[in-house]
Amino acid sequence: MINLLLNILILLIVPFLMIGVIKKTKAFWAGRKGVSILQPVWDFVRLMKKTPVISSTTSWVFKFAPVAGFASILFAALFVPMAGAKAIFNIPFAFVIFSYILGFGKFFSLISALDTGSSFEGMGASREACFSTIVEPAFFIALASVAALSQNYTFESFRLILKNAGAYGYLIIALLAVTLFIMLLIEGCRVPVDDPTTHLELTMIHEVMILDNSGPDLGLITWGAAIKMFIFEALIANLLIPSSLNGWEALLAFLAIIFILAIVIGTVESSMARFRMTHVFEFIFIMSITALIILALVTYRIYGG
Amino acid sequence: MEIYFLALGMLFVGGLLSIIVKEDWKFKVCSIFSLIASVLLLLPAGAVLLTGGTLAQTVYMSPILGDVEFVIDPLSAFFVLVISIMSFFGTLYANGYMKPYLNKGMNVSSHCFFLMMLLVSMILVVTVQNAFFFLIVWEIMSLSSFFLVIFEGEKKEVLSAGIKYLVYMHLSVIFIIAAFVLLNIQSNSLTFVDFASALDGNESLANIVFFLAFIGFGIKAGFVPFHNWLPDAHPAAPTHVSGIMSGVMIKTGIYGILRVLLFVGTPSKLISYTVLVIAAISALYGVLYAITQHDIKRLLAYHSIENIGIIGMGIGIGMLGLAYSNPVVATLGFAGGILHILNHSIFKELLFFAAGGVYLKTHTRNIEKLGGLIKNMPYTGLMFIIGSVAICGLPPFNGFISEFLIYAGMLKGIPSSEINLFITLILAIAALAMVGTMAILCFTKASGITFLGNPRSENAKNVSGDVSKVMIVPMGILAFLTFFIGMYPQYFIGAVLVPASMFVRSETILPVFNSVMELVSTLSWYFFIFLILVLVLFAIRMFINRKADIHNTWGCGYDRANNHMQYTATSYADLFISTLKPLFKRVTHIKKPKDLFPKEAYYEMEIQDIEEAYIVKPLINWDEKFLTKFERIQSGNIQQYILFGLIFLIIAIIGMVYFGG
Repeated sequence: MINLLLNILILLIVPFLMIGVIKKTKAFWAGRKGVSILQPVWDFVRLMKKTPVISSTTSWVFKFAPVAGFASILFAALFVPMAGAKAIFNIPFAFVIFSYILGFGKFFSLISALDTGSSFEGMGASREACFSTIVEPAFFIALASVAALSQNYTFESFRLILKNAGAYGYLIIALLAVTLFIMLLIEGCRVPVDDPTTHLELTMIHEVMILDNSGPDLGLITWGAAIKMFIFEALIANLLIPSSLNGWEALLAFLAIIFILAIVIGTVESSMARFRMTHVFEFIFIMSITALIILALVTYRIYGG
Repeated sequence: MEIYFLALGMLFVGGLLSIIVKEDWKFKVCSIFSLIASVLLLLPAGAVLLTGGTLAQTVYMSPILGDVEFVIDPLSAFFVLVISIMSFFGTLYANGYMKPYLNKGMNVSSHCFFLMMLLVSMILVVTVQNAFFFLIVWEIMSLSSFFLVIFEGEKKEVLSAGIKYLVYMHLSVIFIIAAFVLLNIQSNSLTFVDFASALDGNESLANIVFFLAFIGFGIKAGFVPFHNWLPDAHPAAPTHVSGIMSGVMIKTGIYGILRVLLFVGTPSKLISYTVLVIAAISALYGVLYAITQHDIKRLLAYHSIENIGIIGMGIGIGMLGLAYSNPVVATLGFAGGILHILNHSIFKELLFFAAGGVYLKTHTRNIEKLGGLIKNMPYTGLMFIIGSVAICGLPPFNGFISEFLIYAGMLKGIPSSEINLFITLILAIAALAMVGTMAILCFTKASGITFLGNPRSENAKNVSGDVSKVMIVPMGILAFLTFFIGMYPQYFIGAVLVPASMFVRSETILPVFNSVMELVSTLSWYFFIFLILVLVLFAIRMFINRKADIHNTWGCGYDRANNHMQYTATSYADLFISTLKPLFKRVTHIKKPKDLFPKEAYYEMEIQDIEEAYIVKPLINWDEKFLTKFERIQSGNIQQYILFGLIFLIIAIIGMVYFGG
C-alpha cells in the first residue's frame, strides 16, 4: 500500500520538478539566474484558473483529446516500476500494453489537431504520426530482445539483464539506455527533435499540434507531456539502478538518476539547435540501429558460443 | 442438427419471398429471415462452442453427389456464428442504405435473392465436409457475391471491378480443386474425415497440398500478392455488400486455410514460416497502401488486406508453435488469429457502414472533398471514430485483445532453441508494431479528414442531418460489441480457445487456457480502471471548462483562413509516403501554366498498386499478345469450327486410348 501511494506521489509531483530542473539547467548554461524549480507547478495552477478559448470549428473530439491523452499517459505510467520497486500493474507483456495505451492518447491528440482545421496543426499531426511509425518498431525490437534474455516479460526484466547476459549486459544496458533516451527526446518533444519553447514555427511537431488548446486543456497537456518524459526517464533509471540497492537507497538512487537525466536534457538543449526536419529522420533511425544492435548482441549471447 | 437445416431453409425461403413481395418490403423480408436464421443457428453453434463437441449428419443428396456430410465442429461453429450474426447486421443496414435505390426500376429483387443465397452458401461452405459439394457451394458463394457487386453494373468501373473479381475467384477455385484432387487421389474419398488421415507421414505431399490450398483460399482471403481484386470490388459494391464481403466472406478463405491445416496435422517448418512471412507482408502492404488511398471504401478495402495479414500472422504463429511442438505458442497464436476474425468482422462492418452513410449523404467517397461531417452527422462520426480506434488495435477496444494474444504468442515463442525462429519472431513483433502505428496514421487521416475540421466542398457542407435510425442501430450495436469485447474479453476468449484447441490437440492446453483467462481477466480490470479514469477526468474537465470563449481557429495571426487552407489527406500522408518512395508507383498528370496569361493548369497525382502495375498488368498484356496470335482461327465460318471440334475429339479419344490404359 505504501509502495502504491509512494509510486503515485512520485508520478504526480516529480515530473513538475524535473521540468523545473531542465529549465534551471538551461538558464545556467545561458548565464541567467532562471526561474524557481517550482515554476512549472505555478504555471500549471495558472493555466487551470484560466478560461479557455475554443475554436468554433472544433467538435467534442477537441474537448476529449486532452483528457484521453493525459489519462493514457497516467495509465501507462502505472505499468512502469518506480524507485526500483514493483510496478503498480505488474503483469506479463506489460510493454505491449504500455505502448498501445499511449497509442490511444496519441490517436486522439492527432485527430484533435485535425479537428481545428488549421494547416499548422495538421502538419504537426502528420509529422507526429509519421515519426511514431519508426519509433515503435525499434522500441518493440529492443524490449523483445531484452525480454528474450531474461524470459521475463515485465518491465522488471531490466533488472535481470546483467544477471543473464554477463559482460554483454553492460553493453546492452548502455545501448538500451541510449535507445530509450532518444525515444524520450522524440516522445517528450525535446531538442533536437522538437523545441518546446517556441510554439509557432513551421518546423514544429508536437508543440504545433496544441496551438489551439488553452487554459485547463493546455495545462493538462503540458502536465501529461512532463509525465510522459518522466516515464521514459524512469525506465532508464530502472536500467541503471544496481539491483543490490533496496528500499530508501533505491528510491534516492532513482530520484538522483531522474534529476541527472533532467540536467542532461537541459544541457543537450543548451548545446545544440533542433535538427532540420530531414535530419530528424536520421536521428530517429539511430534508435532503430541501436535496437538492432541490441538484437544482435542478444542473439550472440544466446546462440553464439 | 435439424435446427441447422431449418435455419438454412429459412434463409432460402427468405430469398425466394423477397422476390415476390413489394419493393419496400424486400429488405425487411431479408433481415427478418436472416434474424430468424441467426437465432436458430445460435443454438447448435453455441452448444458446440460451449461443450466442445461435434454435431454431424449425413444426407443422401443425389446419385452424383452421393452422401454429403454436414458437420458443425467447433471451428465451423465459430464461423457459423460470425457469418450469421454479422450478415444479419448487413441486411438490417441495407434497409436504410438501399432506400434511395428502391422503386427506381433497378433490379432489387435479384439483389435480395443473391444476398440471401450468399448467406446460405457461406454457412454451407463452413459446414459441408464433402469436397465435391464444398466446391459447388463455394462457387455459389462466389457467383452470388459477384451479382451483388455488380448491382450498379451500368457504371463501367463497377462492371470491370466485378469481372476482375470473377476472374480472381476462378483462379482461386482452380488451386482449391487441385488441392482437393491431390487429397482425393491419396485418400480415394471425398469426405473431409478421410482427407484428415490422407497426408499422414507424407510431408512433401502435405506441403504441396497446403501451398495449393493456401494460394486458392488466399486469393479469396486477400493475402498479398493475391489481393488485387479486393481494392476494386469493395468500393464498387453497395456498402452493405462491402461490409458483408469484407467482414465475413473473405473469412471463408481463412476458414479454408484452417480446414486444410487440420488435414495436414502438424505443419512442416517450411509452410509455417511461409504463412507467417506472407501474412506479415500482407499486413504491412495493406496498411501502406491504405495510407495512400483517398477513396474511403478503397482505403477500408486495403485495411481488410492488413487485417487478413494480422489474422494470418496469428495462424502462422500457431503453425510455428505446432511445428516446434510448443503448445503454448500454438494456442496463443491460433486463439489470437481466430479472435481477430471475429473482431475484424465487427469493426470492419462498422467502418464500412459509417462510410456508406457518408457516401449516401455526400455522394462522394473522396475524403479530400469531405470534412466537418461530425457536426451534421454526429452519430455516424462517433461510430467511425470508435471503429477507427478499434481497428488500430488500441485498448480498451476489441482489436487490442486479439493483437495482444498474437504478441503474447510471439513473445512466448522467443526463448527458443533455434536462431531462425528467434530472429523471425522478433522481426514479426516489429512488423506488427509497425502495422499498428501505420494504422494509427491511416485512421487518424481517414476519420480526421472526413469528419473533423471544416467542410472541403459544397456537398460536405450541405449535409441534411444524420442517416436514418435503421442504419444507426446496427452501427450502434457493432460499436458496443467492439467496446464490450475489448472490456470483457474473458467471455469471448473461451469461444476461440475451443476451436484453437482443435489444432493444438495436446493435454497441456488446459493450463494454457487458465493462464490466458487469468491474464485477460486482469486486463479487463485494468481497462475498467482506465475507463473510469478517462470518464472522471472528462467530467472534471467539462466542469472546469463550463465557461469557454468561442473563437476562430488560431491562424498564427492570419484571421481569414478558409477551408482550402486546411491540411488535406494527401498532405497528411505525404511525409510518410515520400519517406518510402520506392514502394509506390506514382503517376502524375501535370499541365503547367504557360504563356504570359496562363489559362489552364492542373496537377494530379495518383498512386498505383505496385503489384498491379508491375506484375498483373504486364501479365495481362503478355496474355493478350499471346492470344491475339490465335485470332486467325476465329474465322466466323461454322464449318471450320465443327472441324476444330472434330479434331479435338479425335485427339482426345486417341489420348484416352493411349494413356487411359
